Amino acid sequence: MTCEQLLQYLSEYIDQNLDEELTVAAQEHLATCQNCRVVLDTTQQTIFLFREQGKQTIPAGRRQKLFNQLQATFLQSKQKPESQ
Amino acid sequence: MKTYSESELITALRQRDADAFAFLFENYSDRIYRLAAGLLGDEMAAEGVVQESFMRLFERLDQFEGRSKISTWLYRVAYNAAIDQLRKRRPIISLDLEVEDEDLPQPVILIDWQHVPERLLTEAEIKTELDRAIAELPEKYRVVFILREIEGLSTKEASAITGMSTNLVKVRLHRARLILREKLAESLIQYA
Repeated sequence: MTCEQLLQYLSEYIDQNLDEELTVAAQEHLATCQNCRVVLDTTQQTIFLFREQGKQTIPAGRRQKLFNQLQATFLQSKQKPESQ
Repeated sequence: MKTYSESELITALRQRDADAFAFLFENYSDRIYRLAAGLLGDEMAAEGVVQESFMRLFERLDQFEGRSKISTWLYRVAYNAAIDQLRKRRPIISLDLEVEDEDLPQPVILIDWQHVPERLLTEAEIKTELDRAIAELPEKYRVVFILREIEGLSTKEASAITGMSTNLVKVRLHRARLILREKLAESLIQYA
Protein backbone atom coordinates (compact mmCIF):
# COMPACT_ATOMS: atom_id res chain seq x y z
CA MET A 1 0.00 0.00 0.00
CA THR A 2 1.23 3.51 -0.82
CA CYS A 3 0.89 6.65 1.33
CA GLU A 4 -1.75 7.92 -1.08
CA GLN A 5 -3.80 4.74 -0.72
CA LEU A 6 -3.39 4.78 3.06
CA LEU A 7 -4.79 8.31 3.13
CA GLN A 8 -7.71 7.24 0.98
CA TYR A 9 -8.56 4.35 3.34
CA LEU A 10 -7.68 6.12 6.59
CA SER A 11 -11.23 6.71 7.86
CA GLU A 12 -12.32 3.20 7.03
CA TYR A 13 -9.22 1.88 8.78
CA ILE A 14 -9.99 4.00 11.86
CA ASP A 15 -13.62 2.84 11.83
CA GLN A 16 -12.50 -0.79 11.31
CA ASN A 17 -14.56 -1.05 8.14
CA LEU A 18 -11.80 -2.31 5.86
CA ASP A 19 -11.74 -5.93 4.76
CA GLU A 20 -9.01 -8.16 6.14
CA GLU A 21 -6.72 -7.90 3.13
CA LEU A 22 -6.72 -4.09 3.12
CA THR A 23 -6.38 -3.97 6.90
CA VAL A 24 -3.23 -6.09 6.75
CA ALA A 25 -1.85 -3.97 3.89
CA ALA A 26 -2.54 -0.79 5.89
CA GLN A 27 -0.88 -2.24 9.01
CA GLU A 28 2.18 -3.25 7.00
CA HIS A 29 2.45 0.23 5.50
CA LEU A 30 2.00 1.90 8.90
CA ALA A 31 4.74 -0.28 10.40
CA THR A 32 7.27 1.22 8.01
CA CYS A 33 5.97 4.76 7.36
CA GLN A 34 6.47 7.28 10.15
CA ASN A 35 4.56 10.06 8.35
CA CYS A 36 1.45 7.94 7.86
CA ARG A 37 1.63 6.81 11.50
CA VAL A 38 1.65 10.46 12.57
CA VAL A 39 -1.34 11.19 10.32
CA LEU A 40 -3.21 8.19 11.76
CA ASP A 41 -2.39 9.02 15.40
CA THR A 42 -3.21 12.72 15.09
CA THR A 43 -6.44 12.05 13.18
CA GLN A 44 -7.52 9.66 15.94
CA GLN A 45 -6.56 12.26 18.53
CA THR A 46 -8.58 14.90 16.63
CA ILE A 47 -11.66 12.66 16.73
CA PHE A 48 -11.08 11.87 20.41
CA LEU A 49 -10.78 15.54 21.38
CA PHE A 50 -13.98 16.53 19.58
CA ARG A 51 -15.88 13.60 21.08
CA GLU A 52 -14.62 14.52 24.57
CA GLN A 53 -15.01 18.28 24.40
CA GLY A 54 -17.81 18.72 21.92
CA LYS A 55 -20.70 17.97 24.26
CA GLN A 56 -21.91 21.55 24.54
CA THR A 57 -25.25 22.06 26.31
CA ILE A 58 -27.70 24.94 26.46
CA PRO A 59 -26.46 27.30 29.21
CA ALA A 60 -28.31 26.37 32.45
CA GLY A 61 -30.31 29.58 33.05
CA ARG A 62 -31.46 29.86 29.48
CA ARG A 63 -32.19 26.14 29.35
CA GLN A 64 -34.65 26.47 32.23
CA LYS A 65 -36.28 29.48 30.58
CA LEU A 66 -36.62 27.62 27.29
CA PHE A 67 -38.06 24.60 29.15
CA ASN A 68 -40.67 26.80 30.88
CA GLN A 69 -41.68 28.53 27.64
CA LEU A 70 -41.99 25.32 25.66
CA GLN A 71 -43.76 23.49 28.47
CA ALA A 72 -46.38 26.27 28.71
CA THR A 73 -46.92 26.16 24.94
CA PHE A 74 -47.10 22.38 24.98
CA LEU A 75 -49.61 22.15 27.82
CA GLN A 76 -51.80 24.93 26.42
CA SER A 77 -51.80 23.57 22.89
CA LYS A 78 -55.12 21.94 22.29
CA GLN A 79 -55.43 18.43 20.97
CA LYS A 80 -57.37 18.30 17.77
CA PRO A 81 -60.91 17.12 18.47
CA GLU A 82 -61.62 13.53 17.47
CA SER A 83 -63.12 13.39 14.00
CA GLN A 84 -66.82 12.68 14.06
CA MET B 1 -37.52 10.80 35.64
CA LYS B 2 -40.05 8.49 34.04
CA THR B 3 -38.78 6.85 30.85
CA TYR B 4 -40.70 6.08 27.67
CA SER B 5 -40.33 4.00 24.55
CA GLU B 6 -40.78 5.91 21.28
CA SER B 7 -44.41 4.86 20.86
CA GLU B 8 -45.24 5.46 24.54
CA LEU B 9 -43.70 8.91 24.28
CA ILE B 10 -45.76 9.88 21.24
CA THR B 11 -48.95 8.62 22.87
CA ALA B 12 -48.21 10.50 26.11
CA LEU B 13 -47.30 13.68 24.22
CA ARG B 14 -50.57 13.54 22.31
CA GLN B 15 -52.31 13.49 25.69
CA ARG B 16 -50.27 16.57 26.70
CA ASP B 17 -48.61 14.67 29.53
CA ALA B 18 -46.21 16.99 31.42
CA ASP B 19 -43.79 14.17 32.32
CA ALA B 20 -43.58 13.18 28.67
CA PHE B 21 -42.69 16.74 27.72
CA ALA B 22 -39.98 16.84 30.43
CA PHE B 23 -38.56 13.56 29.07
CA LEU B 24 -38.64 14.88 25.51
CA PHE B 25 -36.90 18.12 26.44
CA GLU B 26 -34.31 16.40 28.64
CA ASN B 27 -33.38 13.90 25.95
CA TYR B 28 -33.43 15.98 22.81
CA SER B 29 -32.98 19.71 23.49
CA ASP B 30 -29.20 19.68 23.93
CA ARG B 31 -28.72 17.38 20.95
CA ILE B 32 -30.47 19.61 18.46
CA TYR B 33 -28.96 22.68 20.14
CA ARG B 34 -25.44 21.35 19.45
CA LEU B 35 -26.25 20.77 15.80
CA ALA B 36 -27.77 24.25 15.40
CA ALA B 37 -25.03 25.99 17.40
CA GLY B 38 -22.38 24.14 15.40
CA LEU B 39 -23.91 25.24 12.11
CA LEU B 40 -24.83 28.79 13.09
CA GLY B 41 -22.01 29.63 15.49
CA ASP B 42 -24.54 31.60 17.52
CA GLU B 43 -26.00 30.37 20.82
CA MET B 44 -29.09 32.56 20.80
CA ALA B 45 -29.95 31.62 17.21
CA ALA B 46 -29.42 27.96 18.14
CA GLU B 47 -31.90 28.29 21.02
CA GLY B 48 -34.36 29.74 18.51
CA VAL B 49 -33.90 26.66 16.37
CA VAL B 50 -34.54 24.39 19.37
CA GLN B 51 -37.72 26.30 20.13
CA GLU B 52 -38.89 26.18 16.51
CA SER B 53 -38.16 22.45 16.23
CA PHE B 54 -40.13 21.54 19.35
CA MET B 55 -43.05 23.76 18.30
CA ARG B 56 -43.11 22.02 14.92
CA LEU B 57 -43.21 18.66 16.69
CA PHE B 58 -46.13 19.77 18.89
CA GLU B 59 -48.02 20.87 15.77
CA ARG B 60 -47.37 17.57 14.03
CA LEU B 61 -47.95 15.19 16.93
CA ASP B 62 -51.24 13.95 15.60
CA GLN B 63 -49.74 13.19 12.19
CA PHE B 64 -46.50 11.70 13.51
CA GLU B 65 -46.50 8.15 12.22
CA GLY B 66 -43.24 6.93 13.66
CA ARG B 67 -41.66 6.19 10.28
CA SER B 68 -38.54 7.90 11.58
CA LYS B 69 -37.30 8.12 15.15
CA ILE B 70 -38.23 11.27 17.09
CA SER B 71 -34.53 12.14 17.30
CA THR B 72 -34.06 11.85 13.52
CA TRP B 73 -37.19 13.93 12.91
CA LEU B 74 -36.07 16.66 15.33
CA TYR B 75 -32.51 16.72 13.98
CA ARG B 76 -33.87 17.04 10.44
CA VAL B 77 -36.19 19.92 11.34
CA ALA B 78 -33.39 21.64 13.26
CA TYR B 79 -30.96 21.11 10.38
CA ASN B 80 -33.37 22.62 7.86
CA ALA B 81 -34.16 25.55 10.18
CA ALA B 82 -30.45 26.25 10.70
CA ILE B 83 -29.77 26.06 6.95
CA ASP B 84 -32.65 28.49 6.30
CA GLN B 85 -31.06 30.93 8.73
CA LEU B 86 -27.64 30.50 7.11
CA ARG B 87 -29.16 31.19 3.69
CA LYS B 88 -30.72 34.41 4.98
CA ARG B 89 -27.31 35.57 6.15
CA ARG B 90 -25.45 34.31 3.11
CA PRO B 91 -27.57 33.39 0.08
CA ILE B 92 -24.92 31.15 -1.44
CA ILE B 93 -23.84 28.31 0.80
CA SER B 94 -22.55 25.09 -0.60
CA LEU B 95 -24.46 22.07 0.68
CA ASP B 96 -24.72 20.37 -2.68
CA LEU B 97 -25.60 16.73 -2.72
CA GLU B 98 -23.22 15.86 -5.55
CA VAL B 99 -20.45 13.37 -4.97
CA GLU B 100 -17.13 15.04 -4.25
CA ASP B 101 -14.68 14.83 -7.08
CA GLU B 102 -11.92 17.01 -5.69
CA ASP B 103 -8.65 15.56 -4.47
CA LEU B 104 -8.41 14.60 -0.79
CA PRO B 105 -6.97 17.24 1.54
CA GLN B 106 -3.29 16.34 1.84
CA PRO B 107 -1.66 16.24 5.28
CA VAL B 108 1.06 18.90 5.41
CA ILE B 109 2.02 19.07 9.08
CA LEU B 110 3.55 15.74 10.01
CA ILE B 111 4.67 16.51 13.53
CA ASP B 112 3.19 14.29 16.21
CA TRP B 113 1.17 16.55 18.51
CA GLN B 114 -1.14 13.88 19.90
CA HIS B 115 0.21 14.11 23.46
CA VAL B 116 0.39 17.90 23.53
CA PRO B 117 -3.09 18.82 24.69
CA GLU B 118 -3.14 16.98 28.02
CA ARG B 119 0.32 18.16 28.95
CA LEU B 120 0.39 21.82 28.11
CA LEU B 121 -3.05 23.20 27.44
CA THR B 122 -5.91 23.80 29.81
CA GLU B 123 -9.29 22.35 28.91
CA ALA B 124 -10.51 25.84 28.03
CA GLU B 125 -7.57 26.43 25.69
CA ILE B 126 -8.19 23.14 23.90
CA LYS B 127 -11.89 24.00 23.62
CA THR B 128 -11.01 27.35 22.03
CA GLU B 129 -8.82 25.63 19.44
CA LEU B 130 -11.51 23.03 18.67
CA ASP B 131 -14.20 25.70 18.30
CA ARG B 132 -12.00 27.71 15.97
CA ALA B 133 -11.13 24.68 13.85
CA ILE B 134 -14.71 23.47 13.42
CA ALA B 135 -16.02 26.99 12.74
CA GLU B 136 -13.66 27.22 9.76
CA LEU B 137 -14.91 23.94 8.29
CA PRO B 138 -17.31 24.35 5.32
CA GLU B 139 -20.92 23.66 6.39
CA LYS B 140 -21.27 20.56 4.19
CA TYR B 141 -18.45 18.90 6.12
CA ARG B 142 -19.30 20.43 9.49
CA VAL B 143 -22.83 19.02 9.64
CA VAL B 144 -21.59 15.51 8.88
CA PHE B 145 -18.79 15.74 11.44
CA ILE B 146 -21.16 17.00 14.16
CA LEU B 147 -23.76 14.30 13.51
CA ARG B 148 -21.29 11.43 13.24
CA GLU B 149 -18.56 12.29 15.74
CA ILE B 150 -20.12 14.59 18.31
CA GLU B 151 -23.68 13.22 18.27
CA GLY B 152 -22.49 9.67 17.66
CA LEU B 153 -25.09 8.96 14.96
CA SER B 154 -24.72 6.28 12.31
CA THR B 155 -23.96 7.02 8.67
CA LYS B 156 -27.55 6.03 7.84
CA GLU B 157 -29.02 8.43 10.41
CA ALA B 158 -26.80 11.29 9.21
CA SER B 159 -27.97 10.53 5.67
CA ALA B 160 -31.65 10.60 6.71
CA ILE B 161 -31.18 13.97 8.44
CA THR B 162 -29.23 15.75 5.72
CA GLY B 163 -30.58 14.12 2.56
CA MET B 164 -27.03 13.19 1.52
CA SER B 165 -26.44 9.64 0.32
CA THR B 166 -24.67 7.33 2.78
CA ASN B 167 -21.67 7.31 0.47
CA LEU B 168 -21.51 11.11 0.48
CA VAL B 169 -21.75 11.14 4.29
CA LYS B 170 -18.74 8.80 4.44
CA VAL B 171 -16.72 10.84 1.95
CA ARG B 172 -17.46 14.11 3.74
CA LEU B 173 -16.71 12.66 7.16
CA HIS B 174 -13.33 11.53 5.87
CA ARG B 175 -12.57 14.99 4.46
CA ALA B 176 -13.81 16.69 7.63
CA ARG B 177 -11.50 14.56 9.76
CA LEU B 178 -8.49 15.34 7.56
CA ILE B 179 -9.22 19.07 7.43
CA LEU B 180 -9.75 19.27 11.19
CA ARG B 181 -6.58 17.28 11.84
CA GLU B 182 -4.62 19.78 9.78
CA LYS B 183 -6.22 22.79 11.44
CA LEU B 184 -5.54 21.42 14.93
CA ALA B 185 -2.00 20.57 13.88
CA GLU B 186 -1.47 24.18 12.78
CA SER B 187 -2.56 25.51 16.16
CA LEU B 188 -1.16 22.79 18.44
CA ILE B 189 2.34 22.27 17.06
CA GLN B 190 3.37 25.50 18.68
CA TYR B 191 3.08 23.61 21.99
CA ALA B 192 4.93 20.51 20.77
